[in-house]
Formats: sequence, C-alpha cells, structure tokens
Amino acid sequence: MKSFVKPAKNSGKKNLLLVLDTNIYVFAFTPPIKPSCRSVISLFGISHSKYQLRIPRTIVEEVRRNLVQNEFREFFVFISELTTIDEDFLVPFELGVKYEIRGLKMVDAFIAAYTEWVGADVLVTENRHFLKHDRDLPFKILTAEKCLKIIS
Amino acid sequence: MKIKKPNAKRAMQHFEKLCQLVSQRKSPFEGMTDEEVIEKLRKTREELWEKKLASRT
Repeated sequence: MKSFVKPAKNSGKKNLLLVLDTNIYVFAFTPPIKPSCRSVISLFGISHSKYQLRIPRTIVEEVRRNLVQNEFREFFVFISELTTIDEDFLVPFELGVKYEIRGLKMVDAFIAAYTEWVGADVLVTENRHFLKHDRDLPFKILTAEKCLKIIS
Repeated sequence: MKIKKPNAKRAMQHFEKLCQLVSQRKSPFEGMTDEEVIEKLRKTREELWEKKLASRT
C-alpha cells in the first residue's frame, strides 16, 4: 500500500478495514454499473485475508430499498458471509455530532461516525459531499477508483 | 465486538448471483447519470433516517 493512506498506523498491518457506502454496493450491481465499485467488492473475494469489511444496519436498509426480495436475500447472505452487521444505536451519539459540526448532514455524519467508531482505514464512497470533507480525519475517504489505485 | 470469520468464496457466489438477478430486470436508475443516482440514494438515506428518528420520539 502506498504511504499516504494513514502511513503510521498501517505499516505492516495485515488487514485493511473498509467501510463501503451504499452507493458503492448499488453501483456494483445495478446499472449504470461502475466497474470500479464492482472491483472494490471483488477485493474481498480475491484477497479476503488482506481486507476486512464492516457495515452498519442503515447501509443494509438503504441497499434493501433498491432490491426486490430475492435479490436482497442474496445481498444479505453475501454480507453475512463477510462480516457482521453493526446496529446503528451502538455508535456513540457524540461522534455523529462531531461530524455534523464539521458540516456533514446528519445521515452522512452518522456514516462518518460509524467509520471512525469501527476504526476503519477507509470509507469508500462516490458521494461528493463526503469527498470534500476528507481532511484531518482518522480515516481516508476515497472513491472506488482511488481506493483501487492506492491499495493495488 | 465479535467479528464473524469471513467465507469469501461463498460470499462472492452470492454476490455473483445478486448481479445476475439484478441484470434480469429494469434498473430503477435507468437513464440517470451517476450524480443523479447518488442524489437519489442520498434522498433515500434522508427518508429512512427521518423515519427512524420519528419512531424514536
């Protein structure tokens, strides 16, 4: 991994912990498909020992909104085989407030707070509202394409 | 927090099945640009959040 992704913390670290925003999942399997989003998800299949995934309940619910029942069943099993779904209420309220003060909307602030709370290295998103806040954070905010470039 | 040991192979089989199922129907985002899709997803996020907050008050 290149040195500009949290160099001090990640040196020699076995796993890279990622949180993928809803848009990454959706763009991975729903047209207009973004190949970079699909490739980020494929990382967990190709190099599962290198990458670890975390997901909050709210992202699962958001993905569910765009799937019919049998599709969502596949998504749920796919996620369940990779990680455990974290309940939203576990994330400290104060952490969300911290990101709201920084200018994120409440819901985006929650995702940022969740990413910090799980100690993730990277939040992968195509959401420009997040991407413009990528300064002085305990994690990196990257698009799928940038994420792939950095970790490959 | 307890983290489940992943089974990547099985996970990817389900992911591929999901991709296959979704490709067989009309996309809810047909005709939209990437940016419009992202905005739609943000709206869904806000709606779900508002519902969640309303159920707690």
